[in-house]
Amino acid sequence: MHGLRQLMPLPPRAADFVLRFALALVLFYASADKLLHPQDFAAIVKGYHVLPGSLVNPVAVWLPWLELLLGLCLVSGYWCEGAATLTAGLFAVFWLLLIVSWARGIDVTCGCFSTKPAEPGAETTPMLFYIGRDAVLLGLALFTAWVRLRVAGEPEA
Amino acid sequence: MRLVPRIIGQSLGIVALSALFAFAVNAVRPDGLPLAQAAKTSSGAAPSAVPPAQASGEIALKDAALLFLSGRAVFLDARSQYEFELGHIQGALSLPTRNFASDFQDLKPLLSGKDAVIAYCDGESCPLSQALAKHLRDAGITNVYVLKNGWSLWQAEKLPVAQGQAAPASKAAPAPKPAPAAKVAPASKVAAQVAAKAALAPAKPPAPQMSKAPKMSKDDAKAKGPAKGQEKLCTDCDN
Repeated sequence: MHGLRQLMPLPPRAADFVLRFALALVLFYASADKLLHPQDFAAIVKGYHVLPGSLVNPVAVWLPWLELLLGLCLVSGYWCEGAATLTAGLFAVFWLLLIVSWARGIDVTCGCFSTKPAEPGAETTPMLFYIGRDAVLLGLALFTAWVRLRVAGEPEA
Repeated sequence: MRLVPRIIGQSLGIVALSALFAFAVNAVRPDGLPLAQAAKTSSGAAPSAVPPAQASGEIALKDAALLFLSGRAVFLDARSQYEFELGHIQGALSLPTRNFASDFQDLKPLLSGKDAVIAYCDGESCPLSQALAKHLRDAGITNVYVLKNGWSLWQAEKLPVAQGQAAPASKAAPAPKPAPAAKVAPASKVAAQVAAKAALAPAKPPAPQMSKAPKMSKDDAKAKGPAKGQEKLCTDCDN
């Protein structure tokens, strides 16, 4: 725990809670719009051109619920080692997807936090912004998972 | 409990539980997504730009012309056999409404495998095409459309037409000289597109339909010898 203590100004358990709470807020925010507008989110998932057509709707239905449940686990403390690791994995997948789409030249709507399509004629957000933002979120998720696993591995006082 | 098995177990639990919630809620919510039939619309080719059935069962000339060009429609002429012989949409089948009961079974095989069966007659208020469409729907043909005032509109746009077909040679109306596609007067964009298509790809859908012409109507099918080759191309047939 020495490395963790040097990195964080807070005690490890407090840092663990703050990080989990922050990550949960991100997940709640990300899932809300997708839960409310499944059709729009399905169109965004389809736009990535990585899933066969038959999987687009199931994934569009399932993903927001996964994010919501991950957020609940992180906040409540139940199954939170698995939730923190899974969140980091999920964000890594999202980040890679954005990079792959950017490399393929596919102009995707991120769908990260909003399902609202871009206004016609409006200036579109560059993909590099989404990639950068997802990199920050991935960093947060990885750090949260690392802290959580450190705390979980610590012998009970 | 060791960390790795715990992480794996918890992750699997979260995935399973979220899937359970997701599909259960999706099943009961009114705007839930169809899960099983998504593949049809979400993959493969883009859907046809030609609109499917309108409430009235009518089809616009542009859509009918597009289906004609791509060979995806069969046109049924609801007018009398005489009018059909004077001029009709190229490749159309003659099915006068009053002969429906006797002629339909012979023509039925020719209607299958097409995206649209388009009935037409002549005039804004001509009831024949609507009556024919009704007969067809009653007979179980689902993709039936009416091209209102079809013959006049088709001619006005200089779209490909033909003459004769079923009549014996002695009765056939003298066909005007076939107008080369490139010389078709660009009276409209649709006509120009059809002409361009015909000029560029003479062996594409419209042409094969011409080659099928002799078996396009019941009478023709019966009158094997004399009727063959009777249908003549013209783009300015005068009715």
